[in-house]
Amino acid sequence: MTFIGDHPQRLPELFEGMTHWPQARLVVGVTGAPGSGKSTVTDHMIAEYRQRFPQRRIGVIAVDPSSPFTGGAVLGDRVRMMRHATDPLVFIRSLASRGHLGGLTLGAKGVLRIMGLIGCDVVFIETVGVGQSEVEVAGVADLVMVVLAPGQGDSVQMLKAGLMEIGDLFVVNKADLPGAQTLHRNLLQSLSLDQGAEHDCQHAKSAGAGTAEDGPLISLRKKGLPDVFMAAANDHVGIDEIVDGLEAKVEGHSDQWRQRREDMLVDEIRESVLEEARRRLDQTLGNNGRAGDRLGQVLRGEMSVAQMAQELLERTAESKRNLK
Amino acid sequence: MASEGKPRILIGKPGLDGHDRGAKYVAHILRDAGFEVIYTGIRRTPEQIVEAAVQEDVAAIGLSLLSGAHNELFKRVLDLLKEKGASDIVVFGGGVIPEKDIPGLKAMGIVEVFTPGTSAKTIVETLERVLGSKAGQ
Ligand SMILES: Nc1nc2c(ncn2[C@@H]2O[C@H](COP(=O)(O)OP(=O)(O)OP(=O)(O)O)[C@@H](O)[C@H]2O)c(=O)[nH]1
Ligand SMILES: [Mg+2]
Repeated sequence: MTFIGDHPQRLPELFEGMTHWPQARLVVGVTGAPGSGKSTVTDHMIAEYRQRFPQRRIGVIAVDPSSPFTGGAVLGDRVRMMRHATDPLVFIRSLASRGHLGGLTLGAKGVLRIMGLIGCDVVFIETVGVGQSEVEVAGVADLVMVVLAPGQGDSVQMLKAGLMEIGDLFVVNKADLPGAQTLHRNLLQSLSLDQGAEHDCQHAKSAGAGTAEDGPLISLRKKGLPDVFMAAANDHVGIDEIVDGLEAKVEGHSDQWRQRREDMLVDEIRESVLEEARRRLDQTLGNNGRAGDRLGQVLRGEMSVAQMAQELLERTAESKRNLK
Repeated sequence: MASEGKPRILIGKPGLDGHDRGAKYVAHILRDAGFEVIYTGIRRTPEQIVEAAVQEDVAAIGLSLLSGAHNELFKRVLDLLKEKGASDIVVFGGGVIPEKDIPGLKAMGIVEVFTPGTSAKTIVETLERVLGSKAGQ
């Protein structure tokens, strides 16, 4: 699995010949500002699922930031989930973001695949709590849960910055602390305002003013209204309702999800073809990147760049794939 | 196999005392040296630590200990690793451990023991050597 974390594009090689890929029934992205309680909420959701469905396996991918200076990382999400360490049906994998923008490390997709293969029913992906660039988690998760907490100035701003659109569920955590009610109220208000904005947008469209058939706002909104929960995760308060909320969403949406997962698969195939092509090209060009004196022909004007590219493409396609 | 990947190291704190300053300090030293460190918190059982290390596919486990039960706890971790077929995971230790116990621990299979006052440089260099790869290039 470390290999896949490091070389996500090469996932297909490991399973060469496999045609059946079991996938998790539900993939939940858990995101939100640093310290809002994402790991704690996840820990308690694991506990809730394990209690409700004792036979089902749960996976967690916990992403923490890499240091931009040294590349190293301290991955601390697991601290909150250690009580599950000896549960054979809970598989937790920590990953460093490795500078990948968007809060989701590239390798997370591969690890998600493996969690499907080992039979995980539900997988939680906790992403780096940076807020802004995290919309990426929406691309791999069936549902995105945004965790907020009072006393964090950036909460509302974070919502403005795009999490509002990707959130399917919102959890106002730390309900035991002052300010939680206010945050809850503000959140409901901004969500309904947002909803109103979409209304206008759709209205404009039906009046013939809209141009894009499938504008981003509208396509995101097809998911329907987000749910808003209150929780005091430390005390397991509200977790029951959150899991009910997740499961209720599964029922209504699984067809739509299947479509998106198929799209993701196409993307994965494309990425893996490109990666393989790149590798073979490097091989064809050799160490000095010049493919013998062939490139000299281009320099001397004996062959056009396009001809050369065509020839390299053909040679690359013929060359053997080289499994390391 | 994961030659480009930086070695992953799990830091665990078995035993009953609740002081993890030393463990966190080492975690940050290692991060600054380019390692990916999985920190697992205080009062963990050897079982929890070993299970987590196997799931996280780490190259090494660092055990931080103050409570005095180091001989038993270290041995238990090594035994569990063997049981799990994960003896390739290197185990090192740190904390308040009497000098006289260190040879015994090494004989048992603990690669190195860092007592308070060991410099960050020594810790990093020792681990880089033991793990056979330079981190953070
Ligand atoms: N009062 C209160 N504190 C909570 C609650 N849930 C979590 N916390 C505390 O909030 C702090 C952060 O919790 P985490 O679960 O680590 O938060 P996180 O969002 O995963 O943090 P990062 O991964 O570092 O971004 C911890 O000290 C928790 O104990 C809650 O419901 N009430
Ligand atoms: Mg966390």
